[in-house]
Amino acid sequence: MKHFCLLVALFTFLPGIFVATGSEAGEGRYERSIQSVAIPDVVLVNHRGEKVRIKSLLETDEPVIVDFIYATCTTICPILSAGFANLQRKFGQEIEKVNLVSISIDPENDTPKAMGEYMERYQAKPGWDFLSGSRKDVDRVMKAFDAYFRDKMDHQPLNFIRSPGDGKWLRLYGLMSSSDLINELQKMRVK
Amino acid sequence: MNNTITNIMAFIIKFAILNSLILIFIGWAPKTYAAQDVPALSPEEIQSYGERMYREGILPSGEPMKAFVSGDIPVSGTAFTCVSCHLRSGLGSIEGEVTTSPTNGRLLYEPREPFIKGFEHVPSFHNYAVYFPVRPAYTDESLAELIAGGIDPTGRSVMKVMPVYDIDDSDMAILIAYLKTLSEKPSPGVSENEIKFATVIVEGTDPVAVKSMIAPLEFAVNRKNSLSKASETNDRVARMGYNMLGPDLLKKRFSLARWILKGPSSSWRAQLDAYYQADPVFALLGGISEGDWEPVHRFCEENQIPNILPIVDYPVLSDKDWYTLYFSRGVRQEGEAAARYLRGMADLFIGRNVVQVIRDNRKGQALADGFREIWADTGHAATIDIILKEGEQFSQERLQQIIADLKPAALILWDDSSALAAFDDFADIQEGPGLVMASGTFVGESLWTVPEKSREFIYFTYPYRLPHDDVRFDISVRKVLLGKPADNFDRNLIKQSYITNELLGKALMDMRGEYYRDYFFDAIGMMRDEYYPLYERVGFGPGQRFVSKGCFIVQLGKGEKPKLERRSEWVLR
Repeated sequence: MKHFCLLVALFTFLPGIFVATGSEAGEGRYERSIQSVAIPDVVLVNHRGEKVRIKSLLETDEPVIVDFIYATCTTICPILSAGFANLQRKFGQEIEKVNLVSISIDPENDTPKAMGEYMERYQAKPGWDFLSGSRKDVDRVMKAFDAYFRDKMDHQPLNFIRSPGDGKWLRLYGLMSSSDLINELQKMRVK
Repeated sequence: MNNTITNIMAFIIKFAILNSLILIFIGWAPKTYAAQDVPALSPEEIQSYGERMYREGILPSGEPMKAFVSGDIPVSGTAFTCVSCHLRSGLGSIEGEVTTSPTNGRLLYEPREPFIKGFEHVPSFHNYAVYFPVRPAYTDESLAELIAGGIDPTGRSVMKVMPVYDIDDSDMAILIAYLKTLSEKPSPGVSENEIKFATVIVEGTDPVAVKSMIAPLEFAVNRKNSLSKASETNDRVARMGYNMLGPDLLKKRFSLARWILKGPSSSWRAQLDAYYQADPVFALLGGISEGDWEPVHRFCEENQIPNILPIVDYPVLSDKDWYTLYFSRGVRQEGEAAARYLRGMADLFIGRNVVQVIRDNRKGQALADGFREIWADTGHAATIDIILKEGEQFSQERLQQIIADLKPAALILWDDSSALAAFDDFADIQEGPGLVMASGTFVGESLWTVPEKSREFIYFTYPYRLPHDDVRFDISVRKVLLGKPADNFDRNLIKQSYITNELLGKALMDMRGEYYRDYFFDAIGMMRDEYYPLYERVGFGPGQRFVSKGCFIVQLGKGEKPKLERRSEWVLR
């Protein structure tokens, strides 16, 4: 009888567990592809007001993760930035070896002050830069990543991880969980 | 029979115990919420505490709310506030195809269907409604389960996209009570058949400016009312209006009152209160003042009345105020752009002076303040400021003296056109500054008559699209003037009010019948950037309150009919 009850209970619960996980998987589903990116030689400005040559920042011997966000976003960007914040929390010191780079898709509004406040909100640590610049330069960077958004309201959930080994970029499309992002990063590191 | 019941009861009890064991085994510890009365607080306290939790992520105790993202990673609730995704009105957000669902009590406590009742056949309403999965109505318990456990009433997890919050029952009751007040009572100025607007005019403003500001607004109101009227008798118009606006907005007439403010600005508040009490409006459209606007700004802030795009040179610059949307940061924005432009030539200024010549009036000071702030941010030495008192002419002798004494690398001139004559022989001066920067709006039409030999070194700030590029929008001006001669109006002001109209129409359509003042601004914040007349690019965004962020640096070209030539991009960093 006990075994029967356990079986009944398991079968009763399994669908519930399955639905919950299935639905999460649906939200967390993402597409991955490898692409080459010719980083344009442009100078952007970071959230501390410092000029940054993006080619030097991205083409390093350490892994780099890039996303495209804007400071007043209410949909995708908070989730993407939560992902970056979580990476920094989970890895602690180790994450300093990974450069996290967020590039503004609203350069008109994203001044160093606005970006600095955003980074403070997400308790960003060293190793995570938020960059803005002229519309022309930002457009060049977006196009290089095949992630051009004519308008910030068109933006999409994208993360790009650069493998320091061969300089290729892993393009990840979709709202990812932190663990998915960490797994992808670790795979790139192993390579 | 009794045995059967007993067996069933025994089975249920065993089943429940086993359920619990299984849940513990798989590591899931449900947090249950016992619906309780809201703590013994006044409605104002509940509103205040709830608002603070919703907007700032701060608990009534003053501590930050504890939140967890992706199920287990602790973060501060101040970084992941409710308002940052569900917006101030609680009616949610939409960007492209990404949506955040409404979280106001009225909609949470209704079942969600793939349509909006009464608007099933309106395309924009339909397209919006199908984004969200259907669900039953929330209860206090299931809402608490969503907030604290991340599970909605269908059993669906939202933890990938929403934090869960560790809130005790008492604070949860306050938050839920607050959500029930969000976008609940219709905003004043809206009735079944009408939306009331007003525009504020400061008495003494140039009459041409006033009629240029108001003509496009009245055009829009009349056109809307004509559409409503025609739809009552013309089936084709009714169908078109229904598809575009939905039945509710189509039916509503608009009215536009003129609130004229007289006397000193210190007396305006009482006048505004009297206008509002006599006939409350939903929002203020446009408005115009050649000087102060702060009393109107404060009135809107304290009464939570939206004011979109008043035509003013001195907007109130605030990171926190909510209820006024400005065209730009005013004349100050030109000063800021000038500093950013010079910042790009940093090497020129190492160890050398930058001199600001400032007319001692509000405009001169605002330009100089803007320049000074950005210049200081870049770590440069402070500018040397020379003040021109009222009535004092900036002469060639004064200019030569400044050059001899201070040897500036750049000279910034914040004065009207009368100062330009001092530069007529500037090209002949040895060791003069490399460039002179002036305000295009301060010198006005004299911008077009700068002597040929001065054009090479005088730069101007110009906060509009260049005129030869903007002619393509002249049709917009002609449309709202209904055949009246454009020369009798100020073209820039007509274009500004044209933008106000466009914004109003789009926002009201995007609001889908939810006529709440906070949602009005939430809807504007979700708009795409636009290419309207006058400004190179007009941008919105949640919480953004200055739609034009740009300013060109220009020089006057050569020849008898010169064009302005761009020397910078629209937005400088």
